[in-house]
Amino acid sequence: MDLDQDGNLDILSGSYSRMEGEMAGLFQVLWGRKEGTFARAKPLLSEDAKPLVLPGDEGDRICTRPFAGDLDGDGHLDLVVGSMGPSFSFFAGKGKGRFDPRARRLEGSNLWVDSHSDPFLVDWDGDGDLDLLSGSAAGGVFLFPNEGSKTSARFGRRVTLVKQPRDLVPQGQPDVLGDAHLRGPGMATRVWADDTNGDGKLDLFVGDCVTLYHAAEGVSAATALEKLAAWKKAVAEIPDGDGWSEQYSRLTAERDAFVTDESVGFVWLVRRK
Amino acid sequence: MWILSWLALFSIPQDVQFADPVRMEAGGTVVKTETPGYAAPCWHDVDRDGKKDLVVGQFQGGKMRVYRNLGEGRLESGRWLEAEGEVAEVPGVW
Repeated sequence: MDLDQDGNLDILSGSYSRMEGEMAGLFQVLWGRKEGTFARAKPLLSEDAKPLVLPGDEGDRICTRPFAGDLDGDGHLDLVVGSMGPSFSFFAGKGKGRFDPRARRLEGSNLWVDSHSDPFLVDWDGDGDLDLLSGSAAGGVFLFPNEGSKTSARFGRRVTLVKQPRDLVPQGQPDVLGDAHLRGPGMATRVWADDTNGDGKLDLFVGDCVTLYHAAEGVSAATALEKLAAWKKAVAEIPDGDGWSEQYSRLTAERDAFVTDESVGFVWLVRRK
Repeated sequence: MWILSWLALFSIPQDVQFADPVRMEAGGTVVKTETPGYAAPCWHDVDRDGKKDLVVGQFQGGKMRVYRNLGEGRLESGRWLEAEGEVAEVPGVW
């Protein structure tokens, strides 16, 4: 979006935390330039020239995910911000990339996700006001319809648009190698909505995070899966106590002989019919 | 293994239905972040050619990858977003 209304596209990102001082995920901006390039990331500052930060406990301040949209209908871009926590915060926009440093929590009858709230504002139901979408650490995509107005948002009951993996995969299923078995978004979902095919309906892009297992070199898939199942059983049987970490590290080193793992993120397109 | 019902993916008002999810591809391969993952997608016309492109943020290095829209449902292989001549990195991410 054009955060400071200078006619150039800017990039707004959250972050885990600044490295000095009290932990807080700053909002980083790559300000756009006239020729279509970007400046290096800089923290977004409030009116008092200090970095904009969320209030509250450490968990409420880190792992930020800001989204800019005019939620109060005054013509200025506001910020709705997610964090490691389950809720959403609001910074009122003052125009041209300036924001009130005082955040308030967005209220609603059921306005929360498991953790790692991930706000995206869009008029989902076409009634003229901005609704709220969100991913979460446990996956899924959720809609919070705006039951208020374009100047006074009031978010209603949560609607699940994409279910979380735990609601789809039965417990106790054996592991699978590779990624061919994947059928939808995994954990740590991040959402973006747009009409990708011009049919007048909003589709969803969903980013995720998944752990994939692969057989180690020279090991057959069947052997890798058999040994992985035995390994998981051994991990589960490690007694609690002082020696747990040491035993886990030893078992993990042994696991590398038959299985490797990688955590990656994919982007899923979920098209509306 | 298990069989998933794609209708079970969704719990939505009856007038809203989705097709099966598909992973985005670019340049003939699946779009995938570096380890440890945490893909954050954005759909916007970055190169100002009238077609929206896919930009994917990731945890590793706070970098972003741009996949240009070639039209007709095709995306070009990704390249790292740059800022001031270097690969752009969002600090405080990794």
